[in-house]
Amino acid sequence: MVIINVENVTKAFGKNTAVNDVSFNVEKGRIFGLLGPNGAGKTTTIRMINHILTPDTGTITINGQISSPITQKMIGYMPEERGLYKKMKVGEQLLYLTQLKGMSTSAAKKAIDFWLDRFEASDWKKKEVGELSKGMSQKIQFIATIAHNPDIYIFDEPFSGLDPINSETLKEVIIGLKDEGKTILFSTHRMEQVEQMCDDICLFNNGKAVLQGDLRKVKSSFGENTINLEFSGDGSFLDQLENVRINNRSTNFAEIRVLNDQPMQKILELAMQHAEIHKYERVEPSLNEIFISTVGEDNLKVEEV
Amino acid sequence: MNFGKIFLVLKREYITRARSKSFILSTILTPIVLIAFGSFMVWIVSSETDSEKIVGVYDSTGVLADHFIELNPDRYLDVSDLELDSVKALVLGEGELDAYLNLEEKHIETNENAELIYSGSGGLAFTGSVRGDLRQIIQEERLARANVSEEVKELFARRPGLDSRKLTDEGEAEDDKAGFMSGVGFVLGLLIFIGLFGYGAVLMRSVIEEKTNRIVEVITSSIKPIELLIGKVTGVCLLGFTQFAVWAFMYIGISIVAVPVAGLIMQDQLTEMASQEEINAAAAEVGFDPASLDILSIDPMIFVYFFLFFVLGFFMYASLFAAVGSAVDSEQDTQQFMPILMVPLMGAYILNTRIMVDPDSSLAVFASLFPLTSPINMITRIAVTDVPIWQILVSFTLLIVSFYGIMWVSAKIYRVGILMYGKKASFSDLLKWIKQG
Repeated sequence: MVIINVENVTKAFGKNTAVNDVSFNVEKGRIFGLLGPNGAGKTTTIRMINHILTPDTGTITINGQISSPITQKMIGYMPEERGLYKKMKVGEQLLYLTQLKGMSTSAAKKAIDFWLDRFEASDWKKKEVGELSKGMSQKIQFIATIAHNPDIYIFDEPFSGLDPINSETLKEVIIGLKDEGKTILFSTHRMEQVEQMCDDICLFNNGKAVLQGDLRKVKSSFGENTINLEFSGDGSFLDQLENVRINNRSTNFAEIRVLNDQPMQKILELAMQHAEIHKYERVEPSLNEIFISTVGEDNLKVEEV
Repeated sequence: MNFGKIFLVLKREYITRARSKSFILSTILTPIVLIAFGSFMVWIVSSETDSEKIVGVYDSTGVLADHFIELNPDRYLDVSDLELDSVKALVLGEGELDAYLNLEEKHIETNENAELIYSGSGGLAFTGSVRGDLRQIIQEERLARANVSEEVKELFARRPGLDSRKLTDEGEAEDDKAGFMSGVGFVLGLLIFIGLFGYGAVLMRSVIEEKTNRIVEVITSSIKPIELLIGKVTGVCLLGFTQFAVWAFMYIGISIVAVPVAGLIMQDQLTEMASQEEINAAAAEVGFDPASLDILSIDPMIFVYFFLFFVLGFFMYASLFAAVGSAVDSEQDTQQFMPILMVPLMGAYILNTRIMVDPDSSLAVFASLFPLTSPINMITRIAVTDVPIWQILVSFTLLIVSFYGIMWVSAKIYRVGILMYGKKASFSDLLKWIKQG
């Protein structure tokens, strides 16, 4: 079932078209990844889904309803730039934010107590946010996002600024939400997280959705045209290869994307002449490689991936 | 509009501000500072402005110098015996004389001006006071020489006074409250000025705080920016009323305590004066008529107007302050936009000092109709003079129209500005944002 439907949406700021005729669907109960370099239009799209901005043309429907203050209640949103009132007490702040999402006072209090308890944060209720550590306030931020028990969760760059431990916790929470049948949409420019978590993806570049679909199908459609090579010895032979793109190169490893359908066996032969091979594996391309080949290297040079 | 959400914003804004230390401190300290400032002004005005300057009287007529010394022995010194050059040397020398007056027969007989020659600085108050003394003495001398009767001299000595009374619609002349009411008018205008400026700045800081804390995007995922703006403006406006109310109660409380105390002190002074005549004389001297206390009552309609002009003016200016706050990332960055707010507000405040004394001039009428100054200037005029009802209505209409216009433009800037991080907007950016909406 489609829960978020984005159709032919365009949004311009002056002369700069941030989102250009973008369409995609998010299915209920799945984790949807929105990827692309900085400035590709992810945040603008997310803000439109949250009804913070409105599209110039095109429509966005949530659960079959055009985005509006009513659909805002169905979504828990954690923006990339996140924060809380520093001088407000944790309990009061959560109550305020949850009530703004339309919850009654008593239901909001119950939900807040439940989540504070679950995150072992009940002791902080009377503390001002300014007194909390960064990790603590991130937990409070997360509770503020989810306390009104929405069906849809949208996180814009949720892993930015998190240490590895908090990253791992957040990953578990997101997967936990999915297990409860919730829908999650998040944006990131870090491909490895998408590969680990997402069911579906949509790739953004320069305001356009350039590639989308089920992550596994997207990957297999590219075929096993990539070689993971582990070796020891002189790696300079890699520079002699033609019509390949080498990602993730290090002193004893290379991910080689083979272009032009040239025989992969030849690469192995060349490698064997120059170095000792520990491992040779033909795999589907990594998401990073898929992204580069879709967007084209030339288009990417200005952006960081 | 979702009024439930607006109320939530309003409540948060009001409660967190009203509990803050800065609000409590400013509520207590502002009246103290104002009273101190007021007393200081009274002290400056009433204190003896004559500095102790010594004026040598170089009198070749032989009759005037004595009168000067009689009039003010501390100031005047007869130097007629000395040579003019040595008088000049005294004036230039160390502190023996600050100035000298050169008086000759022609100053009595003709209309030629006498000269006061001083070293260092003269000062308007000083020269004015010497001029007054000179006029009085020369006039007396002329009268004496003219050999007029005592009756005529008596006539000249009398100073005619002026009592002013105002004719009202009922045809009765009532005691003129002009002096008192122009004071009231100025204070009301000043209160609106302080309110617009002070609470506008509070709102601006609050908008900047939400931006720098990065909470505003979370909030706008639950509520429309315009609802957030209205909630915040109303919350701060109520905060202003709270403060005014506290001050009003403080004022009433102080009056209740202070009046009997002042009465006791006055009673003591009155009983010390032996006869009723002396009391009357003393009262006349200070211009105090016991019956004049009832003029201190103020027409309650003035407070209704005060309320209306404050609310409308506040919503208009507050939305501008909010727009400025939304366009910047920190309070330091607000400076380039502050003239938009400062010029009309300060202008209205400065105009008010003129309007207080001349409330019916065309400048005063214009300032009280022009919407950016009318909240401050109209209330002063209403207190000081009888403003035609059509002017009040025009003033309100213009204010409401521009309040809508400015709120509309500000809301557009606000809507875009609150989501712009890490960027200092320029005026052309603001124009772009307005067009975008």
